[in-house]
Amino acid sequence: MIKNTISSVILGWTLICTFLLLPHVLQAEVPAIKPWFKQAVLLKSYQQSYDWLTPWEKREIRTQTGMALVVRLPVSENTESAGTADKQGLHLLTTAEMVADATLLEVTRKDIRQPFQAKLVLMDYAANLALLNIEDSNFWHGLNPIEWSPVKSKTKADADKVYSLKIKSVQEWEVESGTIERMAVGHRGVSDAWLALLKLSGVSKSGQGFPLLQDNETVGMILEAGKGEAKAIPSQMLLEFLAHAGSGSYKSLAHRGFSWRRLPQRSTADFFQIPPELPGIWISRILPYGTGSDVLQRGDYLTKIGKWQLSHEGKIKHPEWGLSLFDLLFLDQLKVGDSLELELIRNGKAIVLQTRVSAYEEDGRTVPLKRVGHPPRYAIQGGFLFQELSLNYLSMWGANWRSRAPVRLRLFLEQNKTVLMDDNYKNVKAKSASKNTESAPRVVLVTQVIPDEINIGYQKLSNAIVLRINGQEIRRLKDVGEAFLNPETEFHRIDFLPGSDRLSVILPVAGLKQSNQRIKNNFRIPKLQSY
Amino acid sequence: MLHFKVKFIFLLICLWTVALSPAQATVNRIEQSVFRITNFQQSPDWQSPWKLKPTGRGQGSGFLIKDDLILTNAHVVSDSRMLLVNKISSPEPFLADVVAIAHDSDLALLKVRDSKFYLNLIPLKLGGIPELRSRVRAYGYPMGGQELSRTEGVVSRIEFGTYVHPGIDSHLLVQTDSAINPGNSGGPITQSGKAIGVAFQSNLRLNDVGYFIPVPLITRFLNDMKDGKYDGVPEIGVETSSLINRHYRRYLGLPENTAGILVDRVVPRSSAEGVILSGDVLTKIEDMQIDAAGMVNYGEQQVTFFIEAENRQIGDLLKIQVWRNGKFHDLSLTLKAAPFGAEMRNSYDELPEYLIFGGLVFIALNRNYIHSPGNLTPALAYEHWYRELERPRTRKDQAVLISRVLPSSVNSGYTNLHNFIVSTVNGKSINTLSDLDKMLKNMPQDTRHVVFESEWQNIPIVLDYKKSLEQQQTVLKRYGILAGSNLSGMQNKGTQ
Repeated sequence: MIKNTISSVILGWTLICTFLLLPHVLQAEVPAIKPWFKQAVLLKSYQQSYDWLTPWEKREIRTQTGMALVVRLPVSENTESAGTADKQGLHLLTTAEMVADATLLEVTRKDIRQPFQAKLVLMDYAANLALLNIEDSNFWHGLNPIEWSPVKSKTKADADKVYSLKIKSVQEWEVESGTIERMAVGHRGVSDAWLALLKLSGVSKSGQGFPLLQDNETVGMILEAGKGEAKAIPSQMLLEFLAHAGSGSYKSLAHRGFSWRRLPQRSTADFFQIPPELPGIWISRILPYGTGSDVLQRGDYLTKIGKWQLSHEGKIKHPEWGLSLFDLLFLDQLKVGDSLELELIRNGKAIVLQTRVSAYEEDGRTVPLKRVGHPPRYAIQGGFLFQELSLNYLSMWGANWRSRAPVRLRLFLEQNKTVLMDDNYKNVKAKSASKNTESAPRVVLVTQVIPDEINIGYQKLSNAIVLRINGQEIRRLKDVGEAFLNPETEFHRIDFLPGSDRLSVILPVAGLKQSNQRIKNNFRIPKLQSY
Repeated sequence: MLHFKVKFIFLLICLWTVALSPAQATVNRIEQSVFRITNFQQSPDWQSPWKLKPTGRGQGSGFLIKDDLILTNAHVVSDSRMLLVNKISSPEPFLADVVAIAHDSDLALLKVRDSKFYLNLIPLKLGGIPELRSRVRAYGYPMGGQELSRTEGVVSRIEFGTYVHPGIDSHLLVQTDSAINPGNSGGPITQSGKAIGVAFQSNLRLNDVGYFIPVPLITRFLNDMKDGKYDGVPEIGVETSSLINRHYRRYLGLPENTAGILVDRVVPRSSAEGVILSGDVLTKIEDMQIDAAGMVNYGEQQVTFFIEAENRQIGDLLKIQVWRNGKFHDLSLTLKAAPFGAEMRNSYDELPEYLIFGGLVFIALNRNYIHSPGNLTPALAYEHWYRELERPRTRKDQAVLISRVLPSSVNSGYTNLHNFIVSTVNGKSINTLSDLDKMLKNMPQDTRHVVFESEWQNIPIVLDYKKSLEQQQTVLKRYGILAGSNLSGMQNKGTQ
C-alpha cells in the first residue's frame, strides 16, 4: 500500500515537471525555419573535370547538390566589377568544391519551382568559397541577405546546440540539430591552406553550402557532413571573404608564411642557443607567401606573434576558443594588412621583427598542388605529349597515388624542390618554390607518345623528364613551343633526364607539321597545344 | 603356324626390349642423379638488423654434375643453417655443404660430406643450347610430394631476362612450357640424355611459363671457379637506346644498311669506361653485326649483344666497333666485374651492417632494405638509384641512414624518426658506416652535441654526446641487443 502511494507521488511529480518544462524544451529545440526560405536556395552543380592522362578530353559528368546562401557584398567603388549593380549587392555564397569544374549551375528557390542558371563570379580554393550571380532579376525578388553573427564557443553560447537543414525534396525542408565540438585548424580539401574549421557532431544529413544556426543567429556554412560529424566554415571567415570579395583585388584569407616544427628536446634547444624553458616553435621552411615570409628565416625560434605567446606545441590562448594552434589567430584576431610584431630568437639573440599580416597565395612550387577548375596544359609535337608534372597528373594513379605513382616522379614532391642537372651533367640546381607562379620552374614530362610513323621506335617512352629541346633548357611548358621554333639543324633533338627509358630522341624538321596534322586527325585531338 | 606366331611375338618383345632399354637406362641414370635438397635457412631481419628471422624450411632440387659436385640454384641454398640431400626414393638424408655460390647467376655447387652418398652415381653430362620448339624434360622435387617429378615440354623462347634471385642481373634464359614449380629449382632440364639447363624460375602470372639457366652460363660458372674463387659475370657497363627510328640513324649520319645501338651512358668504373663514349653507336661486337634493337645472331635466334660479354671471364678482351664522329672505329676493351656495389643486388649469406648510437639505428642502404615494406620512398630511391645517374661520382660508398629509433631518454622527441638519410655528422660528410663509427668514437673530449644533418630534412637531429655514450649499454640491454654494431659484413652462416 505504502509502495503504491510512493510510486503514485513520483509519477505525479514527473508528469507535472514534464508539463512545466515542455515549452522551454520546445523553444530550445525548434529554431525558426521560415527565414531560411528567403535566405537559402538549392544548388545543383553539373561538374565535368579534366582527364589529365588525355588532357584534351573531359571525364564523365557528375552532379552534386547542395545549397547557396543569399549574401550582400559591401558596396564599394569596385562593386560593379563583381556584377552587383542591379540588386543592392546580393549574391549567392557556396563552397568552391560545389562549383569547381562546373558546366552548368542551377539554383532553385523553395517557392519557385523553375530553376535559375547561376554564373560564377569569384572563387577562392584556399578558403573553399565561391560567389555566384543570377542575371534574372525575378530570382532575387523577395530574397533577403543573411545577417551573419560570430560563432561562439560552447562555454559562451546560450545553448549547446547548433542547427542546420536537411532537405528531403525541394518542398520538404527540415531542421537538423548538432553540437559544436571545437574550432580546429585544417585543410580544405581543394587547397593546402591551413584555415579555421568548425567541427560539429550530430549533423549528418546536411550538405555543402547549408547554413548553420546558433542561438537563432546564422554563424557559418556547412562544408561537409556525414556519419554524425560535420565541418563548417565559421562566419568570421565568411565575413572576411565577403568584405573583400567585391573589391576586385581579393587574393585570399590571412595565412602564415612558414612551416614549423616543435623542438624535439632540450639538447636541440641547447644546440640552437635557445633558453630551454622558453616556449616557442622552430621555423623549418619559409613559404613564398603569407605572414612572416618576408622577415623570418629558417632556424628562427618564434616565441610570440603579436601579443600572443606561443607554447612549445605552437598553441596560443585564443580569447574565444582557448588553447588552440596559432593559425586560429587568422580567424578573427589578425586581418590581412594589420601590422604585426614577431618576437623570436635568431642566432642566440632575442629580436623583434615588424611585418604585416598577409594572405595565402597559390604559390609557385615546382609540382603544383591539385587544382580544380583549371584545364590541363599540354603540347603535342611529333606525337610526343608534353605536360607539366602536377598533383593532378600524379593523382591519375588513383587514391593510393602516393605509393603507386612512379617513384621517379614522386621524388619531385619531396621538400618541394627539384634536382635537375646543368648542361655539363655535373652541378645540381636545387630550385625551391618561387614567389612568382608564372615564372616558377616546373618539371616538364613527355607523358606518352601518340603513335605515328614519325615516332616509330620511341613509342614505349613514357613519363620521361625533359631536360632540353634543341639545346634549350625546358623549365616550363611554354618553353617547349619556343624550343621547337629553333632547330639548329634539319632535326629536332629532345634530351631527357637520366633514369628515363632513353636519353634522347630525334625528330625531322621536315615532315613534323604533316605528322602533327596526321596525329590531330587520327586521334581526334581538337588542339595540338592548350595554350 | 603356331610356331610362326610364337616366333613373331618373341621378335616383337625383343625389338621392344632392344629399342627401349638404352633410353630407359638413361632415364634411370638421370633420375638416380637428381636429388632433393632441404635447406633449413634463416635470413636477417632488415628492419631490426641485429636479429634473424625464424628458421624456415625450403625444398629444392639438384643434380650430380661431376664426381662429387651437385649443381643447384643459389637461391635453393642461400642463408643456410643446415643442408640435407636425399637420393631418389631414399629416406636417408645426407648432410651437405656449399662449396661455391654465384648469386649473380643463381648457381651453386654442393658437396655431400659422406662419400658413401656418391656410390653408383653417374654425373650428368652437359649438352648445348637447345633448338627452339625441341622437346625437353624437367626433373625435380616440386612442392606437393616427396618423390621425383618428371615433366615434358618444348623450348618456347631463348632470350635475355632478369634473374629474380640477384634482382638486378639479366642473363640468357630459356623459356619452356614444361611445368616448373617451386621445388623444381636446381633440377636438371634434359634433352637426349644430357643436362641442357637448370630450372630456376617461373612466371606465376602466366600459364606454362618456366625458365631454365642454359649451359653457357653454367659452363662459365664452372670455369670461373677453377681457381677456387668466384669472380662474377663480367659486364660491359653501357646503357643503350635503340636506333629503330630511321630519323635518328640519319641524324647520326650512319651509312645506309648500317644499324647499331646508341650508347646513352658509360657507367663509371666499368669495362667500357675510357673506351666507349656516350653518343657512340655500337655497330659490331666480336665481328658480329649489332642491329638497331641491339641484337646479334645467336644460333637460330637473336639475343642482345651483351651475350658476348656474358660468356667470357673477367680479364678477357672483347672486340667492338663503334660509329663515332662519322667514322667507324675498331676498339677493344678488357672485361671487368659489374661496376656497381654489392648493395645493388639482393644480399644473401651476409648479416646486415648496422651501428647503434644514442638509440639511433644506423644502417647502410641496400636493395634488401629498400624493398622491405614501406621503405620505397622517393628519397631512398634517389640515393639508391638516381643519384649516380644524375650526379655521377657523388654517390658515397654507403648511403647511411637512421632506419629507426630505439626509444630512450637521450633520444626523446626523435622516437618517430624513420629513414633519415644522414648527410653530415657535426658538419663532416660521412662515407660509410665504419666512418661514422670512427667519428663517433673519436669525438673531441669537449663535444657537447652530435648533430646529424640530412639534405632531405629541414631539421637536424641533435643528441647530447655524453648522455648517448652513457646510455649505450642500457639501450642495448633494454632492447635485447647483443652487439651495438656489425660493421664487418659478417657472413650469415651457422656453425656446424
